[in-house]
Amino acid sequence: MSLGYGLITGILFGILLQKAQVLRYDKQIGAMRFIDMTIFKFMLSSIIVSAIGLYLLKDAGLIKMSIKGTSIGGQLLGGSLFGIGWGLLGYCPGTAVGAVGEGRLDGLWGIFGMLCGAALYAETYPFMKAKVITLGNYGKLTLPQALGISHWLVIVVFALITLVMFYLFEKKKL
Amino acid sequence: MFKRTWNPYLAGALAGILLILSVWISGKFFGTSTTFVRVAAVVEESIGIDTSANAYFTAKKGKYGASSLPDWQLMFVIGALLGAFISSRLSGDFKIQLVPDMWRKRFGPSPVKRGVTAFFGGVIALFGARLAGG
Repeated sequence: MSLGYGLITGILFGILLQKAQVLRYDKQIGAMRFIDMTIFKFMLSSIIVSAIGLYLLKDAGLIKMSIKGTSIGGQLLGGSLFGIGWGLLGYCPGTAVGAVGEGRLDGLWGIFGMLCGAALYAETYPFMKAKVITLGNYGKLTLPQALGISHWLVIVVFALITLVMFYLFEKKKL
Repeated sequence: MFKRTWNPYLAGALAGILLILSVWISGKFFGTSTTFVRVAAVVEESIGIDTSANAYFTAKKGKYGASSLPDWQLMFVIGALLGAFISSRLSGDFKIQLVPDMWRKRFGPSPVKRGVTAFFGGVIALFGARLAGG
């Protein structure tokens, strides 16, 4: 049952990624070079819509959030490495798989590399857990909790900032 | 479905609705990088490397271990590949390409150069993603 839902959800998501043209090296690197903001339009629209929907469901007690731990050390170093790797590969993990689906077979090299990266991380995990993830470890923390304000205030401010960004993207034809 | 492209704001909003429905109906958030970890464990096992003592593959009650497959996320990842294939075939957008256009303009047509860079980019990207908890 769960496997069937996973497959159907994945197919629908793959169609949306493909139609939005975000499975392309040129679009991903284009965003990093600030010359084509297509992937930001897709990601930010998705984040706003899902943030509103998910928090409505959470407030209604219908779902549980799955919050990742905050570790300044892990996220600063991991995020920086991810950025370097993403810039070299030109696809993120999900889009590398989708890119192969639309014939961009350079994504396959990325997939092989990512499998090696996963194995490498598994080997270094004891060190990372002891020395890096412990740096600035705040546990499961959200922005509204840290600021002590309503999550709706955070969502509204985030949505307004995003709308201004969308306006600028369109004005500058990015 | 037969159109080549959809407005990225619309497609993104629909992806947001899809995520809401997924969490509501099956309690699943979208992700892919954990699947790379699980598949790496399966590959290691298949080439004779014992992962049963690895601290990461056995962390969280074996959530990342070889025996956690198949699971929802693996099917989601396979589905995304199929969805992209179906969508690009229906619109005539499917095209076998080893070197992206932007890369070719800057670094030339060599698929080896592109492949090696993509491979090492992938190693660094997934290592970083897991370190950051993604």
